[in-house]
Amino acid sequence: MTPWIEFAQRMTRRAFFKSTGLAAGRIALATLMLPELLRGADKLQARAHPGLPGLPHFKPRARHLIYLFMNGAPSQIDLWDYKPRLQELYDTELPDSVRQGQRLTTMTSGQKRFPVAPSIFKFARHGKSGIWVSELLPYTAQVVDELAVIKTVHTEAINHDPAATYLLTGSQIPGRPSLGAWISYGLGSESENLPAFVVMTPRWSSKRDAQALYQRLWGSGFLPARYQGVPLRAVGDPVLFLNNPGGVDAAARRTMLDGLARLNQMAYERSGDPEIQTRIAQYEMAFRLQTSIPELTDLENEPRSVLDLYGPEVTVPGTFAASCLLARRLVERGVRVVQILHREWDTHENLPRDLSLQCRDIDRACRGLILDLKQRGLLEETLVVWGGEFGRTVYCQGELTRTNYGRDHHPRCFTMWMAGGGVRGGLVYGETDDFSYNIVRDPVHIRDLNATILYCMGIDHRRLTYRFQGLDQRLTGTEEARVIHGILS
Amino acid sequence: MQPPGPQPRAKRWRRRLLTGLLCAGAWAGAGADEPLQFNRDIRPILSENCFHCHGFDSNHRKADLRLDSFEGATAPRKGRPAIVPGKPEESELWHRITARDPSDRMPPPDSGHALTEQQIERLRRWIAEGAVYQKHWAFEPPRRPALPRVQRQDWARSPVDVFILARLEAEGLQPSPEASRETLIRRVTLDLTGLPPTPAEVDAFLADTRPDAYERLVDRLLASPRYGEHMAHYWLDAARYGDTHGLHLDNERSMWAYRDWVVAAFNRNLPFDQFTVEQLAGDLLPQPTRDQLIASGFNRCNVTTSEGGAIDEEFRVRYAVDRVETVGTVWMGLTLGCAACHDHKIDPISQKEFYQLFAIFNNIAENAMDGNALLPPPWLPLPTPEQEARLKALDREREQLQAALAQAVSRLDYRDPAEQSPPPVPQTRETVWIDDEFPPGAEPQINPGTPPNRWITAAEGPVHSGQRSLERKGQGVHQAFFPNCNQPLVLGTDDTLFAYVYLDPDTPPTAVMLQFHVDGQWSKRANWGDPNAIPYGRAGTPEKLLQGDLPPTGRWVRLEVSTRQLQLAAGTRITGMAFTQFGGRAWWDAAGLRTVQDPTRDPGLSLQAWWEQERERKDRSKLPESFRACLEKPLGQLSAEERAAIRTHYLREVHAGAPAVTELRQQIARVQREKAELEKQIPGTMIARELDTPRPAHVLIRGQYDKPGEPVGPGVPAVLPPLPPAEKTNRLTLARWLVSPEHPLTARVSVNRFWQQLFGLGLVRTSEDFGLRGEWPSHPELLDWLAVEFVESGWDVKRLLRLLVTSATYRQSSRVTPELLERDPENRWLSRGPRHRLDAEVVRDSVLFVSGLLNLQMGGRGVRPYQPPGIWEAVGYTTSNTARYEQDHGPALYRRSLYTFWKRTAPPPFMVLFDAPSREQCTVRRERTSTPLQALALMNDVQVVEAARHLATRMWREGGNADRDRLAYGFRLVTARAPTSLEADVLVENLELQRLRYRADRAAAQALVAVGESPVPEDVPVTELAAYTLVANLLLNLDEFVTKN
Repeated sequence: MTPWIEFAQRMTRRAFFKSTGLAAGRIALATLMLPELLRGADKLQARAHPGLPGLPHFKPRARHLIYLFMNGAPSQIDLWDYKPRLQELYDTELPDSVRQGQRLTTMTSGQKRFPVAPSIFKFARHGKSGIWVSELLPYTAQVVDELAVIKTVHTEAINHDPAATYLLTGSQIPGRPSLGAWISYGLGSESENLPAFVVMTPRWSSKRDAQALYQRLWGSGFLPARYQGVPLRAVGDPVLFLNNPGGVDAAARRTMLDGLARLNQMAYERSGDPEIQTRIAQYEMAFRLQTSIPELTDLENEPRSVLDLYGPEVTVPGTFAASCLLARRLVERGVRVVQILHREWDTHENLPRDLSLQCRDIDRACRGLILDLKQRGLLEETLVVWGGEFGRTVYCQGELTRTNYGRDHHPRCFTMWMAGGGVRGGLVYGETDDFSYNIVRDPVHIRDLNATILYCMGIDHRRLTYRFQGLDQRLTGTEEARVIHGILS
Repeated sequence: MQPPGPQPRAKRWRRRLLTGLLCAGAWAGAGADEPLQFNRDIRPILSENCFHCHGFDSNHRKADLRLDSFEGATAPRKGRPAIVPGKPEESELWHRITARDPSDRMPPPDSGHALTEQQIERLRRWIAEGAVYQKHWAFEPPRRPALPRVQRQDWARSPVDVFILARLEAEGLQPSPEASRETLIRRVTLDLTGLPPTPAEVDAFLADTRPDAYERLVDRLLASPRYGEHMAHYWLDAARYGDTHGLHLDNERSMWAYRDWVVAAFNRNLPFDQFTVEQLAGDLLPQPTRDQLIASGFNRCNVTTSEGGAIDEEFRVRYAVDRVETVGTVWMGLTLGCAACHDHKIDPISQKEFYQLFAIFNNIAENAMDGNALLPPPWLPLPTPEQEARLKALDREREQLQAALAQAVSRLDYRDPAEQSPPPVPQTRETVWIDDEFPPGAEPQINPGTPPNRWITAAEGPVHSGQRSLERKGQGVHQAFFPNCNQPLVLGTDDTLFAYVYLDPDTPPTAVMLQFHVDGQWSKRANWGDPNAIPYGRAGTPEKLLQGDLPPTGRWVRLEVSTRQLQLAAGTRITGMAFTQFGGRAWWDAAGLRTVQDPTRDPGLSLQAWWEQERERKDRSKLPESFRACLEKPLGQLSAEERAAIRTHYLREVHAGAPAVTELRQQIARVQREKAELEKQIPGTMIARELDTPRPAHVLIRGQYDKPGEPVGPGVPAVLPPLPPAEKTNRLTLARWLVSPEHPLTARVSVNRFWQQLFGLGLVRTSEDFGLRGEWPSHPELLDWLAVEFVESGWDVKRLLRLLVTSATYRQSSRVTPELLERDPENRWLSRGPRHRLDAEVVRDSVLFVSGLLNLQMGGRGVRPYQPPGIWEAVGYTTSNTARYEQDHGPALYRRSLYTFWKRTAPPPFMVLFDAPSREQCTVRRERTSTPLQALALMNDVQVVEAARHLATRMWREGGNADRDRLAYGFRLVTARAPTSLEADVLVENLELQRLRYRADRAAAQALVAVGESPVPEDVPVTELAAYTLVANLLLNLDEFVTKN
């Protein structure tokens, strides 16, 4: 696509047709001025890329989103959705009246029995709100008054790949833009030195075989590539191709870029193509990234007290704790969306052992992130979302003993929590039945969840659209989606 | 410079041009006095704002009103009809779109849609003019329009130009002058081969004063094998080609033969209709050739899964839906997928019609789960001629051996020992299976990361028997083992398995274990020593028999375990064995079986014993099907005929008492083994094959696989021409229908894509959507003219491209003034030549090409060039065979990007940054963005920095002796033109600065030139090379280099 199409699509059709000539001229002028703006004056808040006109649609409750995605599906029954009555039903058959012939994955659809496996973990009430939290999350439990715990999220997908793709792109089929790409497209970037949408994939502690991730989970789908999430990496260059090759320091690079800018400017004067000005600006932004990223990842000036909030692993690059601290530093610097994808929550067997290890990876850092954002006044403008792609079954997969069990995929209800910008803390939303199998009250489809996230960011999910294949595509698709006002403050 | 004169063909066109009829109005939109046209002026407004609720989709239609047809809009209603032709005031529609009250207003304010004043006025005028509807333009077959009349007579070179010029004149615009010859050769070389021209090619073209020099250049380019490669990268986006399955595990798949077929098809200029038929239905052609079968792999390019727990039917449906959507997008420019869940809201495609197309693609003989296999069936082996000959020879040999076997069996005088009286006496015998060597046919293995097997002689350590023993020494659990041995131990009735072991008295293991491979499982174990050291199996069961303390060290000890304890029945085959230690050092030797042979109970000797054994066996798949029913009865109760057949089978395949027969059997096994090994080396490619009986297809309610509605048969949407009558309506019927001359879409959609390839934008800008919501073509008559021309030329792609690139339109300069930019920002009217950033592959290939690194080897399995660490690892399922990126070395680093291995869940990062799609689904139009991450990639990617060093070397060696000359040469390599003196000044100054830097810091210079795996030239001083490398890096980042100008 030429920048011109993109430009046209970024304007509402009406505005575009009304002012094509004028707008084109204005843009040409803006791009002409860009290099000067960017090079000369750091004080000037020239935005790396602007959002769509008319956005946000209304006053945003949050300007940033931190999405903590637990890939593989954490067990709601062992973490959040406390079901004390199950203890008496240990190893009894899950009643048909509960299962209702619901489809199962082929991993357990052949099982002869569906024995109830109560959680072996203890739950207790926490905070002023008295929300039940499992002993596996002792730290998160301490900030439970900041969280809106949604127990009734549900989806149709029952396998990891389609379900994760569904949650994060709005469709089970690959090809759609991710949530972060939509927000980046709609709202643009607040930072002139950092990308609008950053992704981290920290390591994990339970079994070695981890469910896959897919770049499409932070991809731009049919949106232009500039909206895709930029991985912030723990191996190699922190941002792809960021570092100059050996033997090239910043001064040598600057010399090269100065020459390049002059030659590109001559090309512009010869051809008149405004796209050349865009390219010149992008090279300047690249050069700035070369200093802003090292500054971002340098934790030298973080006080001990802050590091301690996130736990001892915070200084080990590539851990979840380190990623959470970077997330705070990113939003502090104006990055719009940060997505952390933590892997291997897929507990078909040995759930007690593996889930404990997984929780240990994330628990302290989740609390650290909330508290750190809060003490900086960032929590009220940052929406934090935690959860996986579906839940897990109350019945046991494989052998059930008093100390060990496994759980299969369960799309009918699972727990996510949200905190920060615009969300009411200390709240439990929705109710499931005694088996954490069916929703009894206040269902939240993942479309509703996405509509709500967009709403917090000041976006009406019905009006953030992009024309592709003849349709005004949107994150929430063509089906009904509603904002969950009940969790908003 | 003189532009080449017109060719005879152009002359003919010019004559037609002079006598051409006046075209009915170029598309400026209707003037005030010109009647409105529904398709051009009204339909876009209605489809944008109204059809969602008042369109084709009957299920979601509101107020039972449809505005997409004259009948619907004018039907009598309670109150006023929506439209009364000629009378806006009496039309409900007019009142609704102008209503003040939000509850009456249409479109409803909360729908997100709103009409502009201009649109409202246009609707009013259209109703006043009679509310005339037209069928959507793209559903009418194209007719060759007459050429429009133009004022300027000296510009057009072809009919293409006449259409373009007519539009320009209507807009009051002038065409731009022809581009410089350097610009032209670079533009057309990039467009037709995906690579820039060499300086020599530029020189030759500049020196060629013949009037048809440009046409000759075009012909040379079209004949280059590079042409097919370049064309293929566009097509492979559409075909959603990848080297992995794309979902979940995302393992490697073998499809590259299809990719190579596409390259070859473009190069041999396979007519587009055949190109279509062979890909959609090559397998259904009569006696398909190998190439046609490979082409049918198009149908298998969709992403597939084998995720644990996935439901077959759900994915089978997804695959078929993907195929329908892909065919819809690629050939028809229709967004058919919208009709998978409900009637299409915009286009006249019903849900039922979608599933009629679905029925055509629902019959591929594939498994829903790909098994994470390299070649999920159906697939086609691709032997070389030599391999094919060897396979045939092996088949012949096997036939001969089988004939000999049959003869040998017929000569046997066999009597079942169980029927002898008195019965023979049982005998004890010992078989040593492993001594000095693992048994023949075994494939010895060790666990990854544990010490290797070491066979030693008596000179090096203890040996129990024969010449050698196996020494193992290591930490923790380590094992020597082999599974699937094809010469197994067959157990008798009361046997003992044994192995000799010698434990090192200085560093003995804390435990040892024997483990046996039975029926594909390793679940039979016997442990000595620390019972907890080796963690496998549940203690006290045959999974983990505890045989007592560690045996004495410093001498050979015979470890024994009885088959009774292991619960192994007579006749069981031991197909593998493992020697396991926990730590320490031990030597292993002479392992095998002491068996008690009772011929009356030995299946190898007694037909009856064998038959009873087979009757108890669960897996009956190895028996000929004709016997399986007989297994219900003992041998004695079967008919004489049945008994005879079973006896023959037994003697041929099982009986172990006749050495001559056994020998022949072993020879057959050897031939089969050799054949299997050869077949393993032969690559394959996934193809399509049709099921004998089509799968039943249904309308799927809301698109859900488990909610089948009305059954449907194969068919196509009613708005399009009907399918030709056929005995069997299948993919072949559909493919032929697509390329039939009366099909309104295929030719238009295809020529539009070729146009887009060259000009950056299609004549229909939404090249994936020719439906009602698609963009109105900028030059409708030209599109139709080209479509008809394409079909009448016999779907000749090279001819079409030649026509386009030799047009005056294409040859214009791309220079743009601010005024022109304001008049025509996107260059939709083509008053200038195309200018846009090159595709990802072309950027990388050009980098390699101008540096002299590009390796032009064609075809084969995808290669793995440089890639930053952690790209695959960050996402890969840990047990996927694409979880870890293992980079290639040497020439494979420099192949064209088309041949880079394409992992769909983590595609090559350089490609993704430059807007290549992931190939998870069909893409016919790439975005084109400019981002800082692209800048970083071109500045710092190893392959670019290494190429810069090679470009520097070329400048130094080939560019003369002065800096200015060398730099000018480098500039020419990347831009095809000489630098202006100002440009040369900048380069010289930049070089001077870098030179100063590297002279002062030799270590830095050495570090820079060491980037990349290719050797550093010795004839260029290192500080010079470094300074030139960084300037070369600058050249490779020039806007002009990454742009087609």
